[in-house]
Amino acid sequence: MNRKQPRLRAQERENQRNGTLFALPWLLGFAIFIAYPLCASLYYSFCTYDAIRPARWVGLQNYQRLFFEDPLFWKSLSNTLYMVALGLPIGLVASLGIAMLLNQKVRGIALYRTLYYLPSITPVVATSILWMWLLNPEMGLVNLFLKRVGVANPPAWLTDPFWSKPALILMSLWGVGGGMVIYLAALKDVPEALYEAAALDGASRWSQFRHVTLPMISPVIFFNLIMGLIGSFQYFTQAFVMTNGGPQDSTTFYALHLFNKAFLDFKMGYASAMAWILFLITLVGALLVFRTSARWVYYGGEVK
Amino acid sequence: MTKPRLAKPLPIPHLKAFCLGIVLCSAFILAGCARTTSPKVTEIVYWTGWSGHEFEAQERLIAEFNRTHPHIHVRILSQFGTSGYQKVRIAFAGGATPDVMSTVWADELAAYALRGVLTPLNSYLKQAGRDVEREYTPGVAKMLRIEGKTYGLTVTTNTSFIAYNRAIFREAGLDPNHPPQTIAELDRAALACTKYDPQGNFVRYGFRPSQLSLWAYVFGGKWYDTATRRITANDPHNLAALRWMVSYARTYDLKKMQAFQAGFGSNETANGPFFVGKMAMWSTGEWSQEYIHRYAPALDWGWFALPAPPGGRDKTTGAGGSVFVIPAACRHKDEAWEFLNWMSSPHAVASFCQSIKNVPPVIAAAKGNTFFQTDPLFHFSIAISQGKNSFGAPPIPTWPTYRREIGRVEEAAVLGGEDPDKLLNTLQKQMEKELIESREDLQR
Repeated sequence: MNRKQPRLRAQERENQRNGTLFALPWLLGFAIFIAYPLCASLYYSFCTYDAIRPARWVGLQNYQRLFFEDPLFWKSLSNTLYMVALGLPIGLVASLGIAMLLNQKVRGIALYRTLYYLPSITPVVATSILWMWLLNPEMGLVNLFLKRVGVANPPAWLTDPFWSKPALILMSLWGVGGGMVIYLAALKDVPEALYEAAALDGASRWSQFRHVTLPMISPVIFFNLIMGLIGSFQYFTQAFVMTNGGPQDSTTFYALHLFNKAFLDFKMGYASAMAWILFLITLVGALLVFRTSARWVYYGGEVK
Repeated sequence: MTKPRLAKPLPIPHLKAFCLGIVLCSAFILAGCARTTSPKVTEIVYWTGWSGHEFEAQERLIAEFNRTHPHIHVRILSQFGTSGYQKVRIAFAGGATPDVMSTVWADELAAYALRGVLTPLNSYLKQAGRDVEREYTPGVAKMLRIEGKTYGLTVTTNTSFIAYNRAIFREAGLDPNHPPQTIAELDRAALACTKYDPQGNFVRYGFRPSQLSLWAYVFGGKWYDTATRRITANDPHNLAALRWMVSYARTYDLKKMQAFQAGFGSNETANGPFFVGKMAMWSTGEWSQEYIHRYAPALDWGWFALPAPPGGRDKTTGAGGSVFVIPAACRHKDEAWEFLNWMSSPHAVASFCQSIKNVPPVIAAAKGNTFFQTDPLFHFSIAISQGKNSFGAPPIPTWPTYRREIGRVEEAAVLGGEDPDKLLNTLQKQMEKELIESREDLQR
């Protein structure tokens, strides 16, 4: 028997122990504040639970009610899908567009970049209250502008069930700075040589964008799409602050409905079930994007 | 030891010292929690939801209590805002409640009480020779009695009425000394005060009814029958109230009116439509007097009780307020009660309500106070709050949900044009089911 073997094993054990000890704060934090609540919420989703009295197992009742007896569940889901289907692409295009503009070689570009990024670091609540005034139907700047350019009857925005969601999307464009900065970094990374080569081959500006820029920054588009997808499905704060779900449930988004069930109606079990359904929907959405990504996301060095 | 080492592991003695340090620290923290100011003084912790100058008024009262009760020291903590009330929920869930709190909405009192997290006050009240039914205004007394028990006491309440702009009344050819007394008169006055520009846009409007949960009582309806313990959402009088609200959608373009109203921001800001003369009548309460003094001191205004239709209820008002409770997990119940008993005494209630300009729910508090007797608006408000038609939250655990759903029904009928009859019948079924289930759940 090799005499060194057990010693090394002892050493390894010791290293392992120390490593675990150093990672312990994070592991404990993860276990207590993330893993446990996650598992508990799955259990509670099969229970009647008001967060005060002990939970009682009711099987699939919460899920059954969500699907068959809660019209607001479907309404809130469709409101949320509206934001995903409309708000998300508009936001992606807008942030890419602004990033392209801010990628120009113009005097004072640093100032412009700062200005466009600034709104995304203001607190959501402050932005929301500001926008309530901008979107004010009578004397908001948005409608003042629309009237100036000849729109006789501008929308009532947040007080009109048809316009309330577009109003929120309009507002979200104000905060595209976060995505914009990421795009900007990606645009800076596209090698000049590629554009030069394309230009020599006679490619137009559009062709350069279509065949050089887009493929080169596609991993970043992919990243922003996934993050945006998750964010859109969890859309909450603005509606909570600005409209509280109204008018006529037009801004009752999924997360807001979930919050009301949990904290106003004492239905934590029901809310947990909603959270798991949202998780599955988001997961499926993200997986679909991942599946298609092989077709449109280009990583440098790959042979296509 | 001469064991060869590749990398130096954490020396054991240090680890021990580290652990010892943690233990010592926790011991100090625990000792801090158990601290009492002196052997005979008990410290109790009190959570309040009042903020700003209202919080300061609470602080002054508590200083007075601490001065006059040397064996108890009350420590006040502000839990302001929506997150404060969420925190209450979480505190109950975790059993980490303070000794006394006034951060329970009247709407949620039954929901908490019936879940067994509040201390019933009946024996304390009896011992102190107090009788809620006789001390409090009828609406508040009814609201505080849950399944025959009292779980909380209030120190403020509010009165509903309509404030009106006397100058607009004169301009519209109405007599400002004879404000509307019936629904028909209210409707006529509302129409007379409404003005459009040549394009048909609102320049000013008379009145827009809102808050079905209150107007149902004005029309003679109710949301819950305490005697039969049943939901009464589709009471014919509730339907009449909703139909009346919908009738405004036929006279006016309500979406336009709402946009016009929203244009001025919240009613309680400097630019509120009532303050700037764009709304002739405002369904509000006694608290608005302070706002009017602040934002529109020159406004020529008056007030009148909510007008009723034939067969309805005269001088109806809502009743509410933040409720003082002693959580069941409180460890110093006797001291907590002594504090609560003092806070709800006529002296403390009168002092607090006068400083924050709310209606006192304790009858004796209003009686002995010069301000409440001489201020015309408070004289009027107090008389209404002490009348027989004052209504607080029904003593059912599902009221927070129920109330929100009433709001949704109102919107669906008035703005969405849905059938009021059908909406209230659906609400009836839905709320019956919720209540039955909640009761079954609470009984196990």
